[in-house]
Amino acid sequence: MNSIIPLIKNETVKMVRKKRFYVILLVLLVLVPMFTYAQMKISQRNQEKFGSDWRRSVQQAITDNQNSLGSARIPEEWKKFRQVYIQQMKYYLDHDVNPQQPGAVTFTREFMDNASSLFIPLLIMGIGSDIVSSERTAGTVKMLLTKPVRRWKVLLSKLITLIMFVSLTVVSTFVICYGISGLVFGYQGFDMPVFAGFQLQGSNVDLSAVHALPQWLYLFMQMGLIWFVGVVVALLAFMISVLVRSTAASIVIMMAALIAGSILTNMASAWTSAKYLFMVNLELTHYLSGTPAPIEGMTLGFSLAVLAIWGIASLVVSFTVFTKQDILN
Amino acid sequence: MRSSSRVWRIVSFLSFVTTLLLLCGFIYAVKDITYPSASSGMELVPSTDQKDQPAVSPGQTGIVVIGDSLAKGTGDDEGLGFAMRTVQLLQEKDKNQEVRLFGNLGINGLTTDSLSEELKEKGVQYMLKEANVILLSIGGNDLFNGGQALENGDDLPTAKELNASIDAASVKLKSVAKQIVAINPDATLVYIGLYNPFSDLQEMRSIGNTAAARWNMLALETFNPYRNALVVPTYDLFAGNVSKYLSGDHFHPNGEGYQQIAERIVQSLN
Repeated sequence: MNSIIPLIKNETVKMVRKKRFYVILLVLLVLVPMFTYAQMKISQRNQEKFGSDWRRSVQQAITDNQNSLGSARIPEEWKKFRQVYIQQMKYYLDHDVNPQQPGAVTFTREFMDNASSLFIPLLIMGIGSDIVSSERTAGTVKMLLTKPVRRWKVLLSKLITLIMFVSLTVVSTFVICYGISGLVFGYQGFDMPVFAGFQLQGSNVDLSAVHALPQWLYLFMQMGLIWFVGVVVALLAFMISVLVRSTAASIVIMMAALIAGSILTNMASAWTSAKYLFMVNLELTHYLSGTPAPIEGMTLGFSLAVLAIWGIASLVVSFTVFTKQDILN
Repeated sequence: MRSSSRVWRIVSFLSFVTTLLLLCGFIYAVKDITYPSASSGMELVPSTDQKDQPAVSPGQTGIVVIGDSLAKGTGDDEGLGFAMRTVQLLQEKDKNQEVRLFGNLGINGLTTDSLSEELKEKGVQYMLKEANVILLSIGGNDLFNGGQALENGDDLPTAKELNASIDAASVKLKSVAKQIVAINPDATLVYIGLYNPFSDLQEMRSIGNTAAARWNMLALETFNPYRNALVVPTYDLFAGNVSKYLSGDHFHPNGEGYQQIAERIVQSLN
């Protein structure tokens, strides 16, 4: 154990020196103001239409969704989403709780919800994809391995560093999002109630276990789920980075997988075995908000199991390959 | 290497703390989703933004439309329906008055029965309470089943069937009227009368006309007791103008048809 801490320290310093993490912060600092501005425009337009009266705007949203249910042109799966949405919105109205009370915390919650399946995994890929392959590209891997340390320890130190930075990425996303959107929407909203515990049975929502949570607790849980997704994505990126020599190739592979996932989620309901793919299971936060899963039979437990198996498998592959592999060139 | 020591201390401390926090969040989330219970969570404090003053300020007309596809404006290529067209006409008529459509609660295929259910929704009630003019269109689906018989080539309703539907629906219309007036007794309630969409079909002309006329008669009786309610006839508008005022589905009005209804509504208000 003694010999691993200096290794982690070494990796951490390398990570900071290579400015990978700064790139992530920079991406966030550029993109978040754009999303904030877009959200501001949307709320201004709603303000024009409905005044400051959120109840009217929620009821209108319910009616609009009810109308689309009658249309034969709309696929059944979409109808399910809308039926669930209608029931949830009615619940908010019945309890006189504004589902979208303006504020930086609400904005951050919605941003994180949308970012969990593609945006944050992409950021994590940015730090994970080249963590091993860059040593190869630069030839420094020989230096690392000639030290009197076991190979698996070298790899483990890289892995631990990666997970440390996954946590930092998730939290930085929150901090930057809250900080920037607060300038526009105000920094309030931590204690606003949010409903959780909607249990879906097909297109019906079981409301018996619904309970209100303060928004800070909701965010806390949401970030925990996103973190788990982030760790699994990091493990996969890590494996690809061990297997593929070129950094560019490893980034492309991970990116293709993630984007394929977001496309599949939109159209996979007919192909049910797609639910065993990791990229369809990245939207863990949807189980918290009560949004229907893309494929029948997916539950939180199922998604966690699928992600865990993919994560563990990639760990096994990474370590076996790295310890056995010949380092050439 | 002082600076790298500092970097390491900061990064390791921060990442340790955040990892621990996120892990707790994760465990808490899994627990909350897997075993949700209504008793956990916070107490709801009644929201504080309840408005004391009415939504409609003096010099403002707030309109809410409720009912079936006619209320929604189905068939209008411009998507305005009689709702938006009424707002436009009222605005033109009196520039000093601010006329606003608070919301359109029209749902395609709504019958008197389902409207009665809708009226129990808190959100619907809230919206109706805010308005000072309520436009209501309902009954067409009870009688003519949304023109579906025509579209599907099924048998058209016979006079006997129509009479039976009218009897059943008029009872429900009474309770709908009662519900709406109970929700907002002060608003002007405008009921849009039915027309016969089949008046150019040889075999349906007279049957449909009789049905529409009888329904409108019953509607008049229904709304008569309420001081602020009125029935706007549309029957005569469409009687000879089916091809001009009906849209392609041969059931809903087209833009021009809605415009005519809107003009009727504006004439009857004030």
